[in-house]
Amino acid sequence: MSDNVVHIRNLGIKLGSEFAVIIEALDLTPGEVVVLDAESGAGKSTALGLISGAIAPSSFNGSVHRLSGLDVHQDLPRNQFAGPDRVGFVLQTNVLMPYLNVIENIQLPMRIAGLSPDASWADHLIGTLGLAPLEQRRPMHVSVGQRQRAAIARALLGKPELLLLDEPVSALDPANSAQVENLIQILAQDAGCAVVLASHQAFRGAFSDTRRAGHRSMNLEGVSYSVFSDDPSTMQEDAT
Amino acid sequence: MIQKLPLFLATRELRSDWLASLCFIAALVGVLAPLLIILALKNGVIGAMVGRLIEDPSNRELISVGAGTHDSTFFETFTARPDVAFMIPATRSINTSADAVRNTAGRKVERSVPLIPSASGDPLIDGEVVVAPGQVIVSQTLADTLGVGVGDAVEILIGRNVDGRSEIARTNLLVLGIVPKVRYGRAAIFISLSDLLSVERFRDDAKIEPDRWRDTQPDPPSYASFRLYAASLQDLEVLQRDLAEMSVRVRPRAENATLLLGFRKNLNILYVAVAVLAVFGFWAAMAANLRGMVERQRIAFSLLDLIGLPQQARSMIPIWQSLILVSLGILVTILVVLPITVAINGFFQSADGAFVARLGFADLGATLVLGLLTALTASIWAASAVCEITPDEVLRHA
Repeated sequence: MSDNVVHIRNLGIKLGSEFAVIIEALDLTPGEVVVLDAESGAGKSTALGLISGAIAPSSFNGSVHRLSGLDVHQDLPRNQFAGPDRVGFVLQTNVLMPYLNVIENIQLPMRIAGLSPDASWADHLIGTLGLAPLEQRRPMHVSVGQRQRAAIARALLGKPELLLLDEPVSALDPANSAQVENLIQILAQDAGCAVVLASHQAFRGAFSDTRRAGHRSMNLEGVSYSVFSDDPSTMQEDAT
Repeated sequence: MIQKLPLFLATRELRSDWLASLCFIAALVGVLAPLLIILALKNGVIGAMVGRLIEDPSNRELISVGAGTHDSTFFETFTARPDVAFMIPATRSINTSADAVRNTAGRKVERSVPLIPSASGDPLIDGEVVVAPGQVIVSQTLADTLGVGVGDAVEILIGRNVDGRSEIARTNLLVLGIVPKVRYGRAAIFISLSDLLSVERFRDDAKIEPDRWRDTQPDPPSYASFRLYAASLQDLEVLQRDLAEMSVRVRPRAENATLLLGFRKNLNILYVAVAVLAVFGFWAAMAANLRGMVERQRIAFSLLDLIGLPQQARSMIPIWQSLILVSLGILVTILVVLPITVAINGFFQSADGAFVARLGFADLGATLVLGLLTALTASIWAASAVCEITPDEVLRHA
């Protein structure tokens, strides 16, 4: 367990009075990949936000949230547990800083963390993603697919221990989707990341053979729970 | 590195959104430039007028009205006051003139010449020249009329009427100096108090013979009048009030000096009020504009949080932007205003070379400090708004 990149138990959030998203159990070792496969609206993005610590969780019994051996709690600054060498995040909407060029966007998390990227890895990453000719362009001057590649490069430049992918190809056309998914898979392997992919299309792409976390919906005392779990054990819930 | 990032990101955003930045700077110049031009005009016009008033000591004179009874205690009290620059007793005004003054060659004469008592520290007399008995300083106008200069002698003639018989006392006095026209424009003689008292005694006392009129006599117990100069223009009002409380009537030689000082004070208040209103208006507009910029970049700020930029660094971005925009605004304003003040000064060139529009380093420094303070305070709202943006917003952006 001490080697786990992710070790989570009963980590969740109540969204309003009638809906909650819970990760009941999730364990990932370096290089492991898991897919959160559920219908739209099930809370996949929220689950990734919880894993990354970007979303503050509600209080649940037996809640454990550990990333790379570090207990994550609300008082811990994000840069201590979610730096670019620990967590990389690829968003569904390929958001980049609009006023920075592509290479500045890619390097930004490393600059924030005060880290220097591995030059050969950076060259490999940017070359593989086909971003070299686009480095000086602003996000508004590149295509949606190119923006998503830049976002992937930004997430992977620090060789993070955990890569979180939120519907990374949903905005792309099918041809581009397959290509980008393949690139992600290859680069994540090269970087040695554990990967959590949130997608409802993973059954037909590069991650179609990948392990899937279980998902179930349940209703308890008027609250609808969307539960993700690698473990079929029963959820222990005690909303406080 | 992390300390430099907010500045880097702030400048990059301003550069990227250059049109909005330019509009912001133009708005600041639009508010600040007229204010600075008004300040320059206020400094120049009022400053020059007050400067002229201050330069001319006559404007600091309080003229004694009527005849009084002023003893030595009165003079000692006022001479010791820090707001009094010069004071000397004087005789009744009827006795402060010579019937005639002529040069010793006797060919040029000036009639009814005022006799002005003078002593050490007389503000109308330049340098260390002090008249003693038997000496005078003459005004340039009188010197020109008589054709005399320093080192020459002039003869004064003092007339009186005793039982229908005219008698004249006369004496030669050495010219010690000349008072320029800018200090005293009319014909006059600046004379020692001792000689002035002799003139009064000769006119008042028939027993004093014309050929012994300047014999030494004891000082009188009181004096009817005085010459009084305040230390500064601002002291005139207080001195006049204090003398009035002692039933001593005086009037300022330059009535407009007090008016101008009051005008300057009111103008300063008016300018500060206009400036405060304008700065407050701009402050509100700037605060709203910066807040709007944060709102437009809400997702970008959320992303910065997600990728690890600490809250303090994120909140510094609008603060830096505010400081940069205001600094540029002030710089552009100065670049616009300085040539305008030069043009105004060129257009309204005054004879004495005084500037109509004038801006000092203190004015520009105060503008910069006030501007930066405005920038800092106006960015607080935007900075606090940044702190409320959470990383989950970018996750839910889809």
